[in-house]
Amino acid sequence: MNNKSALLNRRTFLHGTGVALALPWFETFAAGSPKRDDTPKRFVSVYHPDGVGLPLKSDPAWKDWSWFPQGGEKDFELTRVLDVLEPLRSDITIYSGLSHPAARKVHGHSNADQYLTGAATGGHGPYRNSISLDQAYAEHAGEFTRHSSLVMSTNGGVGGPRGAQTQSFNREGRPIPAMNKPKQIFDMLFLTNSKDAAARLARSKSALDLLIANTRSLGRQLSKHDQETLKQYLDSVRDTEVKLAKAQRWIDTPIPDVDTRNLHLDAEPKEARLYFQTMYELIYLAFLSDSTRVATFQLGRENGEGPHDLLSMAVGLGGAHGLTHAVKKPKGWENLGTYNRYQAEEFGRFAQRLKDTPEPTGNGNLLDNTFAMHGSASSSFHLSRNYPIISAGGKNLGFENGRYLKFGKGNEDNQAGAGIVSDVGWRGKIEAEELPLAQLFVTILQRLGIETDSFAGQTGTLSRV
Amino acid sequence: MKPLELAILLVISSAGAVLAADAPETPITLEQAKEIGRTKSRFLQVTKGNSQSLHAVPKANLAFFQQSVRPLLTRSCIACHGPEKSEGRLRVDGLNPDLLTGPDVERWREVYNVLSNSEMPPDDELDYALADADRGGIVDWLSDELNKASVLRRNQKEHSSFRRLTKYEYNYALQDLLGLPYSLANKLPPEATSEDGFKNSSELLQMSATQFETYREIGLKALKRATVSGERINPVTYVISMQKELDRAASGKDAKTFDKNDESYKKNRNRQHLLNRETGQGIQFSNAKSKPQPETAVGQTPAVSPVVLVLPRSNELKLNLDRFLPDEGIMRVRIRVGRSTMTPDEYASLRLIFSAHTSNNANFSNTISEHDIPVTASADDPEFIDFMIPLGDIQRNPFRKLTTTFPRRDEFLHIRNVSNARGGEEPLSLLIDHIEISAPFYEQWPPKTHTDIFVDNGNKNDEQIYGREVLTRFLRRVWRRPVTSQEVDQFMALFMKYRPGFSNFEDAMLEVLATALATPEFLYLTQKIDPRSADTRTPISDWELASRLSIFLWSSIPDDELLDVAAQGNLREPGVLKAQVKRMLADSRSQRFARNFVRQWLGLDGLDSVVHVTDSSLTEAMQEEPIAFFDDVLRRNGSIMDFIHSDFAIVNERLAAHYRIRGVYGPHFRRVAIEPQTNRGGLLTGAAILTMNSDGTDSHPLKRGVWMLERILHDPPPPPPPNVPEVDLTDPAILKMTLKERIADHRNKAACISCHSRIDPWGIAFENYDALGSYRTQIKNQPVDATSELFNKQTLAGMDGLKRYLLTDRQDQLARAMVHKLTAYALGRPLSFGDHADIDDLTAQFRKTDDRLGDLVHLIISSKIFNSK
Repeated sequence: MNNKSALLNRRTFLHGTGVALALPWFETFAAGSPKRDDTPKRFVSVYHPDGVGLPLKSDPAWKDWSWFPQGGEKDFELTRVLDVLEPLRSDITIYSGLSHPAARKVHGHSNADQYLTGAATGGHGPYRNSISLDQAYAEHAGEFTRHSSLVMSTNGGVGGPRGAQTQSFNREGRPIPAMNKPKQIFDMLFLTNSKDAAARLARSKSALDLLIANTRSLGRQLSKHDQETLKQYLDSVRDTEVKLAKAQRWIDTPIPDVDTRNLHLDAEPKEARLYFQTMYELIYLAFLSDSTRVATFQLGRENGEGPHDLLSMAVGLGGAHGLTHAVKKPKGWENLGTYNRYQAEEFGRFAQRLKDTPEPTGNGNLLDNTFAMHGSASSSFHLSRNYPIISAGGKNLGFENGRYLKFGKGNEDNQAGAGIVSDVGWRGKIEAEELPLAQLFVTILQRLGIETDSFAGQTGTLSRV
Repeated sequence: MKPLELAILLVISSAGAVLAADAPETPITLEQAKEIGRTKSRFLQVTKGNSQSLHAVPKANLAFFQQSVRPLLTRSCIACHGPEKSEGRLRVDGLNPDLLTGPDVERWREVYNVLSNSEMPPDDELDYALADADRGGIVDWLSDELNKASVLRRNQKEHSSFRRLTKYEYNYALQDLLGLPYSLANKLPPEATSEDGFKNSSELLQMSATQFETYREIGLKALKRATVSGERINPVTYVISMQKELDRAASGKDAKTFDKNDESYKKNRNRQHLLNRETGQGIQFSNAKSKPQPETAVGQTPAVSPVVLVLPRSNELKLNLDRFLPDEGIMRVRIRVGRSTMTPDEYASLRLIFSAHTSNNANFSNTISEHDIPVTASADDPEFIDFMIPLGDIQRNPFRKLTTTFPRRDEFLHIRNVSNARGGEEPLSLLIDHIEISAPFYEQWPPKTHTDIFVDNGNKNDEQIYGREVLTRFLRRVWRRPVTSQEVDQFMALFMKYRPGFSNFEDAMLEVLATALATPEFLYLTQKIDPRSADTRTPISDWELASRLSIFLWSSIPDDELLDVAAQGNLREPGVLKAQVKRMLADSRSQRFARNFVRQWLGLDGLDSVVHVTDSSLTEAMQEEPIAFFDDVLRRNGSIMDFIHSDFAIVNERLAAHYRIRGVYGPHFRRVAIEPQTNRGGLLTGAAILTMNSDGTDSHPLKRGVWMLERILHDPPPPPPPNVPEVDLTDPAILKMTLKERIADHRNKAACISCHSRIDPWGIAFENYDALGSYRTQIKNQPVDATSELFNKQTLAGMDGLKRYLLTDRQDQLARAMVHKLTAYALGRPLSFGDHADIDDLTAQFRKTDDRLGDLVHLIISSKIFNSK
């Protein structure tokens, strides 16, 4: 067995066990391979709880305050909720008719957990989650950057099962704690590395040296055939050494200088605009300095309480979660729409900032190489269907924007579940046919360069995207 | 059986295969079939030395090619694919007809594909058309030759038992090494499965950097759990006394107490309540809130109280433990409990559930006890039941350390009665008078898991001497062999490097020990050679034998006793070896053998991807049955022919209900005698096998047939050819057919017949069992037609006929298949042609032991093949 086939075997094995692990250090260090375009491919997902306003057509508020656009794929009209994105029209795509099948009959409050994972996290009883989209990409992209991903939320930490305060879950389905203090995030990204990490690294290096010596001495006592098997172990130790060397390089590499003018590191959620803009700016700086290529950001937590409710104060409204319950009160739809509008506005500001910044490698602008998602796991009141999703950018990854893409059948005008304010909605029968959101995730992963044809048990991609 | 009867049977049996057809009115019993079949054994007739393997190296069938295939190819193909024209750059006349050794297998595969799909000769070339029978002849020949070629290629690879431990073996090894009784290796990726169905097959056990790093991470984490540092931590202890709870509840202003002796007690009896068994006073009670007791000594046992919590079937006590449980360590939940009645048909057991409800809709509730623990004591003489729960491994309330009160911070422990109690005047309930919850719980301080690594002795003050001692002991167990002082030096050097970075000896040493847990001699099963010797087929060392034994029988590393025997150098003495094997089989660790072997042999993982069984207790029972069955045969040293048919079943209550066997109560598996009309007995009619080999709504004869051939007969069919025509379910003519007719229709296509005629009949014999393995006599109001004909014209009349045929005519094949499977598992590698003589030899010996499973284990262990590299 020569080297080449050993490598092939390993890849085949990893593929066969369903563990799509990237082995990027081979690519990074493969000598003599033709120079590839090394423009970073980036992914960011922003999640907002509580869904959006979805009045009935017969409701006078429908024309202005229904979240979904009106019209067709190219000639769609944005309502007052999303018209703040009109200047970015040719850089965004709006989706309807997508949701995760396992959650369609689960109360919306339980569903932030599964927005990026597609797992059957359910509404009660035993709880189990699976890897999130961002982490599936970070397993690959993380090899190129100092931080494999940046995980943020307004509330911080992991939250509780079915009450997630993070969007990111690792390969075992365990939540990855989100950071919520701008100062801490900045320090983590742009201040010196800890001594601890250096000491751990040094220990690992000594351990690997011993293991290599130990393996060599064992190899001398094995048959030729068994030596080949053992070689795979030795290769794994060596690959780990290479990874350590890389980690060491990051420790030795100076941390990038960034322009901190737009940062308000002491901002708190009650100063919502400032806080939002600072959090987005941190993602922007992390991307620009190529400190990471993957970020998630969860605005608030489902079912309100805590910092979440402070966010809507930015637009002069009361607790954010209450807005969804009060849509039938005077100006109810308008208030909820105003809050959603403000979320879209800040997302748009972030997208615009990416667009205005040339890509350091000269390949277009930052937005062209970034797929930025913004959405929620419920549309109407507690209803876990027809997720309202916007994406921006990704032109160089193959995304064609300026479109309103309706998927599924039987709900072209987004009226299924519209106007409800009771739990009849999410408990109700599923009338319209929707497509699995995970198929969009497969498309995204493929365009980010990950070889896969399924995610969360769903196979295939979305056509038209 | 009396001699006379046997003689008659022998006479009948000489009538051979026509037996069943000739005497349909007086069919023999399946037990008689076993007797008859045995007399036909080739293995029992031949004497050792002149046995000739049925499974010799395959040879190309060139005679058939010359006689039948070549003339047809010449007539129908050569015009376009010959000397004149070679369309598609294919010349059929130039292909080497020996597919086994020749260079043209891939071109022949193309020929096979186009012929079997009727793509060639082209429809409009009427002059060259092939008659169906001719086409079938070529396709059959090619199919055989291709299959032989692939078997040959697979077998030509050199196989070795040098391999990495599987995920489950690594987990058990770590558990046994460190004395930690819970799963440690969940982070490792799952293993791939070999063509034989085995996960421990050397070729497939790969290694990657990510996996290697995971081993290092798991090793260090496990070591930290096994050891302690600093002073003993005071445990958090909750004590719930039902006496106190009753006093409190009954003293409330509006307390609604009742009296056991009142007629109205009936209303309260089936809901959980507190009861003073002496006075009869009672009160409803379902939730308790408990605060840790200051300074309560763990394990104090108050006298049994007359005041108890009465917990009827499916009720649970929900204890609010607030937010004081520690993050890590073992939580011991100790419950004093007894049964209200002792009716033998009923059982009651305890289950623990852990939950939190942090805000609306944000909640979880997970079972944390590994198994339900049955309560066997009477309430008059209650017993303690202890659960040990690793707190670091269960889902906790992530908000428990908040300084604010929202989201909610408290955690709940539920104690549930899982039971089959039937109610009535004296319903079976569980009576609990005392609960103590303590964490972190240590039986002793420092715990044994700690002192097993860091022995308490006088050398502790000299880190050089003590460090060497710790390492020498630890490495011997990790590597399962003696350790040289140079090897210890290496690890001591690492320790010296680490030491300045740590405040104490133990913490630095743990990092070194974790490195030992990542060495190849822990992670792999080695077989060293003498570099000066050229012969590879030499015996393994006694140490290697010890590891091979423990991996085979315990799925783990040897214990100290086995290592000590290896050290004495007499492990190979027959008496010593036999005694060790007996000891190991008697040890509870040997249950891992039954479990892992049977799961892999029968492919029970298939049940994990089945979605049409909605009752999880049924799935569990299905999964468990074949394992319990195998275990029963092994422990009794029974015949493996019982796997084909037995006049008993091994069932628990849930599965017995599924099989309509009466009078089986309780969750444990036991042997019960069954009547023929139960239509069970043996492994083939096990619900797990029938269910996983279904399509979710109905039986799947093809899957069942393939399963039979692969798992039981060890005669796997070739893989399906590419581009097989799908059954066209939009065709109304096909939709009207019964399943069996559809299969027959599909089979009659030239492309399919050669394989399907070998597979389908086996599966059709299972037709009396539906997608859940229930017995049926009708399908959609039509009588079930489970009769099929094997390609050798043998008729199989349903399951009974199948069993009868296997037992009368296929015993040798069954026995050899069993030997093959068990040996492949024991060696952890695929078997090849080179092993056939050994397998034949083992099979002959095995048949002489009356096919006894326990004897087979001993035979394999003392065989040459098991003792060689």
